[in-house]
Amino acid sequence: MEILDTIKGTYIRSMLKEGKRQDLRALDQFRDIKLRAGVIEHAEGSAQADVGDTRVVVGIKMMPDEAMPDTPDQGNLITNAELLQLAYEDYEPGPPSPESVELARVVDRGIRAANCIDLASLVLEDKKVWSIFIDIYVLNYGGNLFDASYLAAMAALLSAKVPHYSDGAADHRRRDTSLKINGIVASTTFGKIDGRLLLDMDLNEERIADTRLTIATDGESIRAMQKGLSGAVTIGEAEQMIGESLVQHKRLKSIIERAAKE
Amino acid sequence: MGSSLNKPELIVNGKRHDGRGFDQLRPLRIEAGVVKNADGSAYLEWGDNKVLAAVYGPREAMPKHIADPSKCIVKCRYSMAPFSGIDDHGRSGPNRRSTEISKVAREAFENVILLNDYPGGMIEIFMEILQSDGGTRAAGITAASVALANAGIRMKDIVYAVSAGRIDKHIVIDVDMLEDNYSDADMPVVVAPRNNDVLLLQMDGGLSTEQFSEAMRMVLEAGKRISAEQKRALEDYYKMAKE
Amino acid sequence: MRKIVFPGESLQIARRSSCTYNDGKGVCSSAVGLFDEERASLLPLEGPWQPRIDETVVGTITDCKNYVYTVNLSYYCRALIIGSRYGRQSDFEIGSAVEAKIKDIEDRTVLILSYPRALPGGILVRVKPAKVHRIIGKEDTMVRQVENLTGTRLVVGANGVIWIKGQQDGIKAAIKAISLIEENAHRQGLTEQVKVILEKEARPYTRNREQREGE
Repeated sequence: MEILDTIKGTYIRSMLKEGKRQDLRALDQFRDIKLRAGVIEHAEGSAQADVGDTRVVVGIKMMPDEAMPDTPDQGNLITNAELLQLAYEDYEPGPPSPESVELARVVDRGIRAANCIDLASLVLEDKKVWSIFIDIYVLNYGGNLFDASYLAAMAALLSAKVPHYSDGAADHRRRDTSLKINGIVASTTFGKIDGRLLLDMDLNEERIADTRLTIATDGESIRAMQKGLSGAVTIGEAEQMIGESLVQHKRLKSIIERAAKE
Repeated sequence: MGSSLNKPELIVNGKRHDGRGFDQLRPLRIEAGVVKNADGSAYLEWGDNKVLAAVYGPREAMPKHIADPSKCIVKCRYSMAPFSGIDDHGRSGPNRRSTEISKVAREAFENVILLNDYPGGMIEIFMEILQSDGGTRAAGITAASVALANAGIRMKDIVYAVSAGRIDKHIVIDVDMLEDNYSDADMPVVVAPRNNDVLLLQMDGGLSTEQFSEAMRMVLEAGKRISAEQKRALEDYYKMAKE
Repeated sequence: MRKIVFPGESLQIARRSSCTYNDGKGVCSSAVGLFDEERASLLPLEGPWQPRIDETVVGTITDCKNYVYTVNLSYYCRALIIGSRYGRQSDFEIGSAVEAKIKDIEDRTVLILSYPRALPGGILVRVKPAKVHRIIGKEDTMVRQVENLTGTRLVVGANGVIWIKGQQDGIKAAIKAISLIEENAHRQGLTEQVKVILEKEARPYTRNREQREGE
């Protein structure tokens, strides 16, 4: 069952005024998170994240490639996101939407900035390096794609196996070593509706939100941030959300590690 | 078709390379109602293939000029995830192969959907191949058919799809990736089980008339098992909803 | 005796009922549904709404031009209310919820509505149209029961859109009851089950309502 758009906004707002959410969650509470690695055996690494009704699958593929001219001594990381048409009635076909480009770039930025993948270790031989493709596939849109994508991407990377490489070619049927991962970054995304901050917005909340702030941390430092939508946040609010994000990281990290181990 | 020089042994002691008999399907499992936002959906695992299918509609035909006041428009999209293959990273987005598959799949579905029941409307069918191991169009169409029934779209039948192939002189059913690469013929088929009407038929390679007839006979036989799994998935979904 | 049937399954009945078609050899089902052999009737388990004249629908006004109001029924066909007299009513503006009856279906693709009534306040929820008959219940029993036990007012549209008005807690309880009915629509003995759950859950709301009525 769905609460319809036009009148739903007022309903959500009237509840928020009393500090309540439709699904009875606390303002700083995530929906149920389910994270499962190894869902696509053909990929070098993969994971499916369910955050409430949002479902994201991330697949990692690795291919021997030319090094980029400006970074000859490290591997390539290419992140892409597909908002599949089947995931939501308003998703449209055609070239990548600004939303999907933003999602891919924000996930890429955090993983890169935290040095999660030791790109320097991905050099195969002179000018030949591994390209790592992180493909984010949104299978059902239920709000907060950022946090779900980070969870799935990190669990996929952490469980990834590197194909055997010899004579300039990869043998994807022989994957002997784990991909070396240095740290775990996870994000928390907050919304702001009528001046109230709320963690992990669902679809209904996201559609009426004034502002959105994604904070990716490795538990110690902030590694990437992205504010979305046209509303504003105060410095005090940003500080509050950063503090909360660092607290949440502990739990998210253990969810990622547990999923990758199973 | 692969080159014959490095062709692996596809048939050993009367069995196929993975131990299957000639008429044997790979393990097939379907689950209905898996995409929450969609009007109907299904997830299918068939051998190593993993497919998600979903249906939206009927909804307002967009762009408006394509709307037909006498019947419903059907749109169909087959696509493959870039991480679906075991070897290289694939390119996402439509290509000539997926465009053709989307078209022939749409034509098969247009045959069974009661288009006149939804004048001016549009039904969208999506087939996402998350992992591929040969026979993905058959897997996609078989899953999409369950998704249509799950959406409650009025239709004449629940169609199934399977591909037949020829390896040397043997006709085999449900060709996998390795067989597809080296087989002597490949023939994906979509059938409406109610009257065995053939709604999609493609073939490449070489088949004699007798081999074609044998392949079709084996398709119909295998189809009984595919249909049974499609219905089991739907029945399970409604049982679950009951409890 | 009811059994589950699938599209293409031949039904041993002489004439077409809803969700069936005749392929020349006999009547077949066109939907996944429960087939009642004695009554020769087929109840679809799922499916889009197919509008019929005289049905009550609920929606929101999305546009008004020259006294023609466009109503969004969460359905792909356009729905129109034609008439200048509604413009004078303050509740009758873009964004308002309305209930109305289907007077006519033009070219099979445009629904002409009549007897419109504005539904001020409240919220709208959408359920699967195939479940509406259970939410209404036999002779409105189910919908009246939900109203009584939650202290809300409900208008159920055949298009699957339901208007709910009441106290916030009452609305929440009503939404819960409606979801329960929607998810268990093909079960028997639902009325009793909903009653038990609402009586346990909704006691505070009914008390509120009694208090209000007493005032």
